[in-house]
This record gives sequence, structure tokens and C-alpha cells, in this order.
Amino acid sequence: MISPLESYKKMFLIRVAEEELAELYKKEKIMSFVHFYVGQEAVAVGVCDALQKGDKALGNHRSHGHYLAKGGDLKKMICELLGKENGSAHGKGGSMHMIDKSVNFVGSTPILGSIVPISCGSAFEQKYNKKPDVTVAFLGDGAFEEGIVYETLNLAALFKLPLLLVVENNLFATNTKVKDRRSDTHNVEKIVTGFGVDYRRADGNDYEDTHKKAKEILASVRTGRPAVLECMTYRHMAHSGPVFNEDYREEDILEKRLEKDPVKKMRQIVVNSGISEKEVTGAEEEIKKFVINSVDFALKSKYPPKENIYTDVYA
Amino acid sequence: MPRIIQFTEAIREATDQMMEVDKNIFVMGLGVTDKGGADGTTNELNLKYPGRILDVPLSEGAFTGMAVGAAINGLRPIVHHGRVEFSLFAADQIFTQAAKWNYMFGGNNNVPLVLRVNVGRQWGNGPQHTQSLYALFGSVPGLKVVIPSTPRMAKGLLVSALRDKNPVVILESRWIFKVKQDVPDGIYAEPLGKSRVAKDGKYVTVVAYGDGFIAAHEALSLIGAEASVELIDLVSLNPIDHETILNSVKKTGRLICVDTEPNAFDIGSEIISKIAQERSLKLKDAPVSISCPNTPCPTSTALTEFYYPTKVDVANAVLRLMNKPTIAHQFTFEELHLAPNLTLP
Repeated sequence: MISPLESYKKMFLIRVAEEELAELYKKEKIMSFVHFYVGQEAVAVGVCDALQKGDKALGNHRSHGHYLAKGGDLKKMICELLGKENGSAHGKGGSMHMIDKSVNFVGSTPILGSIVPISCGSAFEQKYNKKPDVTVAFLGDGAFEEGIVYETLNLAALFKLPLLLVVENNLFATNTKVKDRRSDTHNVEKIVTGFGVDYRRADGNDYEDTHKKAKEILASVRTGRPAVLECMTYRHMAHSGPVFNEDYREEDILEKRLEKDPVKKMRQIVVNSGISEKEVTGAEEEIKKFVINSVDFALKSKYPPKENIYTDVYA
Repeated sequence: MPRIIQFTEAIREATDQMMEVDKNIFVMGLGVTDKGGADGTTNELNLKYPGRILDVPLSEGAFTGMAVGAAINGLRPIVHHGRVEFSLFAADQIFTQAAKWNYMFGGNNNVPLVLRVNVGRQWGNGPQHTQSLYALFGSVPGLKVVIPSTPRMAKGLLVSALRDKNPVVILESRWIFKVKQDVPDGIYAEPLGKSRVAKDGKYVTVVAYGDGFIAAHEALSLIGAEASVELIDLVSLNPIDHETILNSVKKTGRLICVDTEPNAFDIGSEIISKIAQERSLKLKDAPVSISCPNTPCPTSTALTEFYYPTKVDVANAVLRLMNKPTIAHQFTFEELHLAPNLTLP
């Protein structure tokens, strides 16, 4: 059992790390496209808390949260964002290509939907080698409109693969509203279940609801029943970059975002569970220090030498 | 005792023998479990390797992507695309995913994937079943790209591809599927990335690949022994083995490139460009490029008759460089429009 405090610490780490990264971005220290995850922390942590160590996870262009929730190394991540040689991809990937294979975070890609069949292949390998593990792919509502996702739902159901797709519906593909991209009668559940794939919907602004449903659905995914978990959530920042742009929003206005802020809500759960305010604040201070130290470490790290352009094209 | 088998049998044999020694190899493609599946290249392998020969839905993007994911996690998929046009449904997975994963993750995610992609040619195939797209595949860093020209190469290159750590695209010309040759019966490897001097010569270097190599090979018998042609089987599109070509052209001072794709951005242009940049090299004549018109391939045989370079086109290109009279040849319908049924030495 993971305690509420442990889960909160992960969510708080993602939030603080990204807020710190946003400051670095504004100072032009990060010359990598960054898509901030702020506001969606309950999904990454809620799902990853329901995974076993051997389970694999893959993500998308907005995957700092998934990487950290799976246990990815913060220093290596920040170094990667700063384009440093000791980044997790030695500066070749940047923010959109998170990887830490030591914790089974296999990779992330920004071409929408591309990670879905690749994750299906990971699940195929798990079944092929009779492993007890599953693969989770994180994607957004935009990626969920790519044709390859539907092809993959069919494949995963056909081959009975242990694949979970977590669709984070944050209402926008860049700034285009989900309601402007789908007909009035569009029905995700019917589409998914029509392929013979299980479907659950969770409140992605709420850790407890997301975690509970992820846990339930993962039990059947592990037996070879692929599934989709759709998490309704809010993206607090812009599609890309650290700004808070309000003019395109209808439902997820500032007041509503503050009211449903998953990190704030989780903090309250921790306090309600009997942990003292002092202990929570102490944990938060530790995390802030860790983030600041990691940023310092990354700022002091070296850039890769120019001959590295030519390395790793082939293995 | 020679063991004469055809191109497709050589592919099947390599697949079978490698699957026997490497349990991580599996095959995916439309109809690969059918009797005579994938033009015979997977025939009845499903009976010998249950669960490792997988028929798939018409979802090229998804099953190619699934292979990429399986490869990243340690398996060795062979993906068969019966026509290059269908592989383009998987363009993101081939060019943007498989080709980039090792690089963009700093060497942490190599993709040991083999893509067998068939290039169409023969009567009736028309504009959407005959694209070669060699230059397209050859132009993407991160992929290794080879074109087997003979049954022996088809087997040896597939063995190498199945031992490589990277995505290897094997572009197989359907036109030469019936070509036969004496092929060693055990497992052997032909190197990826290396051109092959198929015949030594002093007067002119001819570089060709796939179906164009067969045309060039047949041209040799039309022009006779006094024409000293050095025939190079290009074998690899990525990388192009410029060193082998340069060494040959240093000797001959003359170069003919044979392409079986439209003449804009073709492989010959790439080779000639590199040769032209060699300041130390004194060419004895202008390089020659023989290729298809810069049009789609039409369907009517009255038009395709003039589309692909023939053995006569290659022979006459050599004869022109020798300042000798060119030859005329009355082609039969079979020669022009049916896959050749010849046996190579």
C-alpha cells in the first residue's frame, strides 16, 4: 500500500519541478520545446502508483509527469531539458523524449499516436515471453483522434495483449477544443468497447478516483484484456511553454482550475489522514531543496562535444 | 553439387534457418500464414513455428509500430510489406520512429527490426503498384537499406539483417523473384553496407542494383568480351559504399549508373555527385545515368515497354562510350513484361 503522503510527495515533486523549469524556460535556459504537465499530476501518479516494478510505461510530448511518477531520475531529466551531455538521452532528445529504462520508463514521442502501437509491441513482447507485466501508454485526447490508435485497439484485442491506454482528456489539442473536433454524438466508450477493449472513465483531477480505477482495470489488463482509461483533467498552462493563456478556455477557467487543483486536493487528503501540517511542510521543503539542487547540478553540467552529432545514429 | 533455388526460396530458407537458432525472431505480414504466403517466402513456416508467424489486419501503421515496440524490448520482428505503397501507411513508424529511436534516446533504444518491402514491376501493376521509392528509403539516417540482386545475396543479406542491432529495410524487387542461382545450404552472411564487384573490368564501371542489376548482367552477353566492364552490384542504399565505386572509377575513368526509378533524385545522381566532387579523379568521359522517365509507371504495356531500362539500354550506353555502333534488339512480350526466369552463375 502506498500512503497518501508518498503519493502526495510525487505529485508535489512534479508540480515544483515544473514550476522551477518554467522559470528556467523564461530565462531562456531551456532551448527545448517544453509542454508542461501542471494540473494533470493526479493522472500520472494515480496510474503509476497502481503499477508493478516490471510494468513498462511510455509517454508523449507532455511526459515529465509520467517519467517522474514512474520514478525517473530528476537530475538526468533536467540535464536533458538543458541539452547537457549527462541528460537521460545525452542531449539528443530534450523534453519531448523522456527515458529512464532503469525504472521501465521506455520512451516518449511527440508525433501524436505514434507511441500507441509501439506500446502495443512492448505488451506483445511481455506476452511472447510469458512475463507477468503490462505496458501503459499515456496519450492525450488529441492523439486519440489518430487512426493508428484505432488500428492498435483492434490489434491489442486480437492478440489479447496486456496493454493499457491512459487517455488524458484535457479538453484541448493545442488550443482546439475537443467539442469542436468531434460530433455531438461521438462516444469514446462505444468506440473502444466496439473493438472488444475495456473502457473506464476517471476524474483525472482527483488522485483517489484515478488510482482506484487504474488499479481495478489493471487487474484485467494483466490477464490479457487490453483497456482504455480516460481521465478527465485540466491543463493549467498553455499547450507549449510556461504561459497561462485564458482567452480560449470555457470550462477550465482559472477559478475552476484552482478549485479542482489535484495537488491541493491531495494535500488535504494527506492532512485529513492524520499527518501533521509540520510533517507535510517538512516534506515539501525537502522536495523544493531537491529540485533546486537538481537545477543547479544541471546548470553546472557540460554540454556535449560537437562530435556527438555523429554518435548513436546506429547501435 | 550445385543447389539451384529461386530468389523467394532463398528468403524463405534464411528466415527458416534463422528462426531455428533465434527464438526472438517472429514474422508479421498480411497472408504470411497462407499456403505459399508472401510469394512463397513464408510458405508453411507457420506449421514449424506456431505463434511466431502472425497474420495481421490491414493496419500497416499499427503492426509496423507493434514491431518497433517489440524490437525495442528485445524481440527481432520481420515485417513483410507485400507492396511498398502499403508500407507508406507506416511511414511515421519507419522513418520517424524506427529510424530515430536509438539516436533521440542517446543510444538507449536500439531497434533490431527487419522490414521486407516488395517493389512491384510486371505487366498490369500500374502507377500505384510499381513505385520503387529507393531514394526515399535511402535518404533517412538511422535506417540501413539494402537491395538484394541475386538469390545468394537475398539469403545472406537477410541473415545479416537478422543479426544487426538496427532497423534494416530490405527492398525486394518482385521482378527478380523467379531468378535462380546456386545458393549455399547453411547459414551465411553477406555484409550490409558493402557493394559487391560482380565482374572485374578495366574500361567502364557499371553500377546497378536489384532488377537493374539483372539487366546490366544480361547486357554483358550482348556486348561481348572485348568490352571490359566492371559490374558493381550496389547492394546498399544506406550507406552507399562510395569507396568501392570510387576505387573502380579510379581504374576505369568511366561510370554508368543504372536506376529503375524515375530519374529525378535517383541513386545514380547521388553516386555521380560524389564522383564529381573528387578533385583527384580525372574522368575519361562524362558519367552516364540510365533510369526511368520522371513519370509514374503507366499500366498499358504499350507504354511500360519504354519505361524501364533494358539490357539493350545498358549495352548501348557501354558501346557509346567505346565509340562503337549501338545494337538493335527486337524484344519479345515476355522479355519486356514478365519476370525473368533465368539462372545466374
